[in-house]
Order: sequence, then C-alpha cells, then structure tokens
Amino acid sequence: MFENKFRVAAAVAALTLAGTYAIAADVDYTAMTPQELAEYLIFEANGFKLDAQVQEESSARDRLVQDELQMVCTETRNNPSTEQAEAIRQAARDTIVYPEGDIVLGDWEKGRDLAWSGFGYRLEPNFDNHERSGPGANCYNCHEFAGDRQGGTIGPSLRNYGKLRASEEEEVSQAIYRLAYGIIYNAHSMFPCTRMPRQGAKGLLTQEQILDIMAYLFDPESPVNNE
Amino acid sequence: MLRTLFAAIPLAAVMASPAVSGPSGDPAEVLEELIGSTSSYYLTQSEQNLMMMPDNPALWTIEEGEELFRTPRGPNNVSLEECDFGKGPGVVEGVFVELPRYFEDTGEVMDLGNRIIYCMTTLQGFTADDPEIKDIHGSNTDHMKLQTFIASQSNGMPWNNPLDHPLEIAMRDAGEAVFYRRAGPFDFNCAACHGEAGKRIRASVLPHSSNPKEWTKAISWPAFRVGQDNARSSQHRVRECIWQMRYPPIVAGSDLSIALLSYWTDLARGQPAIIPDMKR
Ligand code: HEC
Repeated sequence: MFENKFRVAAAVAALTLAGTYAIAADVDYTAMTPQELAEYLIFEANGFKLDAQVQEESSARDRLVQDELQMVCTETRNNPSTEQAEAIRQAARDTIVYPEGDIVLGDWEKGRDLAWSGFGYRLEPNFDNHERSGPGANCYNCHEFAGDRQGGTIGPSLRNYGKLRASEEEEVSQAIYRLAYGIIYNAHSMFPCTRMPRQGAKGLLTQEQILDIMAYLFDPESPVNNE
Repeated sequence: MLRTLFAAIPLAAVMASPAVSGPSGDPAEVLEELIGSTSSYYLTQSEQNLMMMPDNPALWTIEEGEELFRTPRGPNNVSLEECDFGKGPGVVEGVFVELPRYFEDTGEVMDLGNRIIYCMTTLQGFTADDPEIKDIHGSNTDHMKLQTFIASQSNGMPWNNPLDHPLEIAMRDAGEAVFYRRAGPFDFNCAACHGEAGKRIRASVLPHSSNPKEWTKAISWPAFRVGQDNARSSQHRVRECIWQMRYPPIVAGSDLSIALLSYWTDLARGQPAIIPDMKR
C-alpha cells in the first residue's frame, strides 16, 4: 500500500533531511493526490518528530493517525451527509459509558478548576508533565461560563447553564443530566463533526471529572448560575 | 536611531533612499489602510499594539539583519548579497511575498528560512551544525535578524507566491489538506480555530483563514511578539499552534511546514504584507 511504496524513498529522505534543505529526489510529489502527499509529508518526510515523548502509553506518531470519525469529518470538512451524520451519531453514542444508576453531580469547585485548566498533553518544546499536575479540560478556551472570567467564543456560551434548564419548582431532570454527560463524553453523539474534543471517549477526562464539571454547570451554588 | 529616523522621514524618502535601513514603507500605514478598508475585530483587537507600531522593537532587528546580510561571514568570508531569493542574486526587494517558491538549483519549494540556510551553506560555507544555522527558534538569532530584514523589504506588497511549477501547486494543495486534516487527542485541525470570523480563544481574537484581509496580518511574520518580547518567524507561529493542538512538534523547514506556508500565503494572495508587524 501507500506506506510500502514509499519506504525506500522515506529512508533516503530521513537521511538527507537530517541535514538542512535536501529532500529525496526520487519521490515525485506531483504524482500524488494532495491527500497522499499530506500523509507522506506527515509520516514519511520528517515533518513531525514522530518519536517525541508523550504522556500516554502510545506514541506521538499515533496521535496523528486518523480514526474513522476524524477521516469522515476531514473529507467532508465537517459537513457529513445525512447518512454519514447518522452513522457518526450512532457510533458516538456507543462509546458513552454512563454512571451506574442516577447521575449525581460532583464537586463544582473541582469542576471549575478543570474547566479553566489548559494544562495537559502538550508536547515539546514545553512538555506538560502530568505527574506534576493532572490534565485539565480546556473548556474555557472555547466557552464562556460566568461573568468573573473571560472565556472563548468558539463554542456556545454556557452562562446560567443549569438555571436555564431548571423549572421554578423542579430540579433539573435526569434526562437533561444524561444529555449533558453525553455531550461532554462524546459530543458527536449530538453534533456530528463538532469541533468539541471527545473528552470521555478519548479518555481525556474520567467519569468523576465529568461529574465535577457537570456540577460546575448545574449546581445552583456554582458561579455559572450566579454571575 | 532608526526609530527617530523612521518617524521623522516621510514615507517617500524612506523608499527612495536605499541607504536607510527600514521596511519598504511604513507597516503602520499598511495596517491602517487595511483596517480602514474593512471591518474586522481581529485587525483592531489591540489598540495598544496599533499605537506601538512606530516604535516596534523589530525595526531594530531589521537594522541588525541588514548589517549581518551585508557582512562577509563564514569560512568563505562572503556576504549574503549574492544570494538568490527568487528574483536573482542580491535582490531582496519584494522577494518575501513571493515565497515559498520553487528553486531550480535545489529542485525544491523553499521558504525564506530554508533559502537563507541554503545560501549560508553554499555561499558562506557554514555547516548544518553551526549555531548560525541550527538556532532557528531562539531569540535574537541570526535567522531572526536576516529574516526580519529580508521580509521587511516586502512590506506593503501583495502576497503572491507563484503557483506555476507543478511542485508549487502540489505543496500548496498538500498544505490545504493538512490545514483541514483532523487529528490528535482533541481532533483539531487548523480550521477548528481559524475557520470563522470574530471568534475568540479566551481573550485572543482569531484570524479567519477565508478572509484575506485578516489573513494577511495573520501571516505577516516576522512580527514582534509583545508577550514574548521578541521578533518571531512564521515557522515559530506554526510551531506554537501545532503545540496547542497537542500534535508532535513540527520540524521547521520540513516539506510539511513549507506546504503549510504555501497554503497560508496563497490564502492572503493580493493583500499587502505588514512587516514587521506587532502581535500579542
Ligand atoms: C486550538 C486553537 C488553534 C488551532 C487549532 C490553531 N491555531 Fe493558529 N492561533 C491560535 C491562537 C490562539 C492564535 C493567537 C491569536 C492571537 O493571539 O490573537 C493563533 C495564531 C495564528 C496565526 C497568527 C495570527 C496572530 O495574530 O498571531 C496563524 C497564521 C495561525 N494561527 C495559523 C494556524 C495554523 C496554520 C494552524 C494549523 C496548523 C493553526 N493556526 C491552528 C489558535 C489556534
């Protein structure tokens, strides 16, 4: 396949690129499709340091290998067909592991710390040492939560998230909790090819952490519902 | 004295006199004109940086870069004045807005950084291990000085990287594929953060890649990074976004990086470069 075809050339490329500007002369970039050339430049032409140190069990290279979802969303530029979208939703739903029994909110203060932490998984040249501090959830980069700090605007504002979903006499229902849990765990279950990371499905957050973040969103005491 | 000089001499005088080192024209004016021609939250986000433009510390970097450029150096004791950046040996005016481009002598599409390395190696006799060549991302490096000087000679000129040679087209198209390719722990591609207008990552307003008037400022590097108190290059910016994306580190000067730069320059085609710019 693709990778075999270029193995010899890649070896040459790796050798010469270690120098400065020279690349393998025997690889014809113009004979490849843009996608083929992109894959070649990423995996075979010393474009990334594929053996860089990572925090997880697997390798830096593995981070760049696309899974099915990433491939479909790339090919369609985040506009999957109706059938593709349904398949993505279904596959995403299958990834979600809900807590046993009722969803019980965690600790909103812990949730706030996670939501406002951008630490984690960054590599060279400024490696995040997970032993020093656990990875955060990065929510604030894209979402606004409360008036006390400025969040990003790539995703929807989450101000008053819980308040807007509670009725006068009743608390937020389990159905709404499950929905929010599912979105944080794997948002493609609701929004196929969303830009939101798959926090639960990719093991970026634990179940407990998701419940803490949900407390930040839903707890009546949380600044999200008070500022 | 560049700063006072620069502020005092009218634009025409700066352009007419090759003896005065400085950008070709006033970057602040280029930016002002751009801002006046459109409405963009990104272009206007930092009032402070706009005001600082005439005192941009990178203007000093240009001066240092020009001196370095004209000084005989390396084992061969020659200057870079015979280097061909695409418009013939010795020509620096307008070369940067037409990079990356294909070079006959190497058979490759090269960006400014790679071309400087090529000439430092072939003309001046430096080797790959010399710090002059190796230190690409550091502060106050030869690379930054040379790049800032050479790029500044394209200030105000429209981005126009050639797409004539089949390799130039192949690299640009591969760059586009990489720009939209979703991967990594967070499933990000470049478009995740640069695919819409007026959006913020926390407090930073993001440039929209499909708006050439925003994108020209976005790709106007070298720029002075106020937060880092240093002039930084295009390759440095790419590296930082890649790091935010939780990808493995990108290799500066690799064909992958050149492909990205070919695409991002094409996205700003026709809009004027602002060099040196100031960024947060
Ligand atoms: C997670 C979000 C994110 C992703 C993904 C991302 N960037 Fe950026 N990018 C930023 C931020 C934040 C800035 C800084 C903007 C500012 O400070 O105003 C930036 C700045 C830039 C700039 C310079 C504009 C400026 O004003 O500093 C360019 C050009 C750029 N990015 C290109 C890219 C490319 C190419 C990719 C893909 C390899 C990419 N970005 C991926 C967030 C991102």
